[in-house]
Amino acid sequence: MPNRLPIALDAIRECLDGTIPAQLATCAPDGTPNVTYVSEVHFVDGQHVALSFQFFNKTRENILAHPRATALVNHPDTAARYRIGLHYLRTETAGPVFESMKAKLAGIASHTGMSGVFRLRGADIYRVLDIEHVPGIELPTRPANRNLLAAIRVCSQRVTASVDLASLFEAVLDGLESLCDIHHAMILMLAEQGDRLYTVASRGYAQSGVGSEIPLGAGVIGVAARERTPIRITYLTNEYAYSRAVRASMGADELAAKLETEIPLPGLAEPRSQLAVPIFGGSRLLGVLYVESPENRRFGYDDEDALVAVAAQVGTAIGALAQAAEHSEPANPHAGRTPVSGAQVTIRRYAENDSVFIGDDYLIKGVAGAIFWKLLRDYVYESRTEFTNRELRVDPAIRLPDVSENLEARLILLQRRLAERCDFVRIEKTGRGRFRLCVGRPVKLVEVAGAAAR
Amino acid sequence: MDMALPVLDEAHAAFIVSGVSIVVAARDAHNAPTVVRAVGCRVSADRRRVTVFVPRPQAAALLDDVRANRELAAVFCQPSTHRTIQLKTRDAAFAALEPDDLALIAAETDLFVADIQKLEYPGEVARALVAHAPDDLTGIAFTPHAAFAQTPGPRAGEPLGA
Repeated sequence: MPNRLPIALDAIRECLDGTIPAQLATCAPDGTPNVTYVSEVHFVDGQHVALSFQFFNKTRENILAHPRATALVNHPDTAARYRIGLHYLRTETAGPVFESMKAKLAGIASHTGMSGVFRLRGADIYRVLDIEHVPGIELPTRPANRNLLAAIRVCSQRVTASVDLASLFEAVLDGLESLCDIHHAMILMLAEQGDRLYTVASRGYAQSGVGSEIPLGAGVIGVAARERTPIRITYLTNEYAYSRAVRASMGADELAAKLETEIPLPGLAEPRSQLAVPIFGGSRLLGVLYVESPENRRFGYDDEDALVAVAAQVGTAIGALAQAAEHSEPANPHAGRTPVSGAQVTIRRYAENDSVFIGDDYLIKGVAGAIFWKLLRDYVYESRTEFTNRELRVDPAIRLPDVSENLEARLILLQRRLAERCDFVRIEKTGRGRFRLCVGRPVKLVEVAGAAAR
Repeated sequence: MDMALPVLDEAHAAFIVSGVSIVVAARDAHNAPTVVRAVGCRVSADRRRVTVFVPRPQAAALLDDVRANRELAAVFCQPSTHRTIQLKTRDAAFAALEPDDLALIAAETDLFVADIQKLEYPGEVARALVAHAPDDLTGIAFTPHAAFAQTPGPRAGEPLGA
């Protein structure tokens, strides 16, 4: 059925980004033409676009009675104009296309002073019948200041060459910064319970925010994860600000109580462009790669494609590295404790949520907290310092699911939190799937029933 | 009919010549619609006649349709405020440009560019949207028989003056 269009739809995607509003002509059964502005024409695939359905109006009546329509779109930088012949197919009110459009529309509405007025009722899906390049004066295209294909190539090579998860994350963030000129980025992993994401690496923020959590469905990142689709916003909008989204979700459900709230999410106070791309291992959602910028319209369709390509490599690599880390050599049973000095420090663990405090300072909770507590107990009561991923996996106290990516990611999280918050305990990798706990001061462990009163 | 009030009141007549974004649509014998951007607009002194100006090379199908059935819809939108109205007619016909039309179009273009710049959008792109060779222009004159508010919001779609 797909007929080849004389101009490929993906060649004019820049015209479908809501920068210059499109116009849509329809016709009533009695032959009366109608023309209206459309906030958003969204590229779905090479044969389909989706138009934002915001109001019940004549356009709506017309396309339901007579599905033929014609859109006029413009290139935002060159003013090049195209007429797109369309055939209305259906309206979607949920799902990836709807959520992508809803997020983008929130940015457009905010930028043009229409927040609260523009509300997406549906994504009207149209088949593209033809594309006509309308003659007229066009400005020269701006020379590209980066080549995304070349960047993807180098990023992919670096990702594939990474020897462990920590270096993989660094490779991605380095690549985004040096090759794609993206200076604010974070990587989040889907938590074991599947209801939230936690930050495992970030770049470009005063506080790394490693360990911070966001519920599925909250903000750009949470929606991208829930809908398993990239979400891209080209202007500043409060509606999808993750800090606000997280706050809004608080108190709404049981998850709020369990969510990591002690560690603030990193992020720009006023991102003008945001792009969140899911990371998959096969068909399973593993996490989200998120980038943002203080510039309007910083990320286009090409940037989205580039990040999707990199995220695909990352997903495959995460799976391979996690597998490899499970097949480690046994830990060295003879490695003993190293000498400690200084005043004794009390480390508390609250059983209800596995939150751990070093002295009075909160460190971590949840799975990473449980891991840390197991390590400390083995250190204090059995004088052990060398550990393997494998033994953590089978330890019933840690309650890890069979799926393996998270163990390595949780260890990275613990390692980074210690590096940021504690100057006498650290975790050192000693080989594939093996690591050492280094403690520099005498410690006393205290278990507390219930939750920390904070 | 002639004694009826014009569809456009003074405010709306002034609005559509104030450098707004103008787009017109027509349809063929199979009710397939077509659409083109107009570069300017004139309203007669009695507000009964509206003339929009379109570059012929961009509007081949639309001009054929107007010639064939005289149906036309025209939408006028101020980008910075989203204020929008739509006019409908069944008597659209070609009209030659009058001597001062080019000056009128140039003045409307300047206002259009200035308005779009309020949205932090580059003026040169706005200017390119309505750029044209003067010899390419044709007028399409019509008597609107209906006018609708189309500003996004609860009153969108209501007849003007309702």
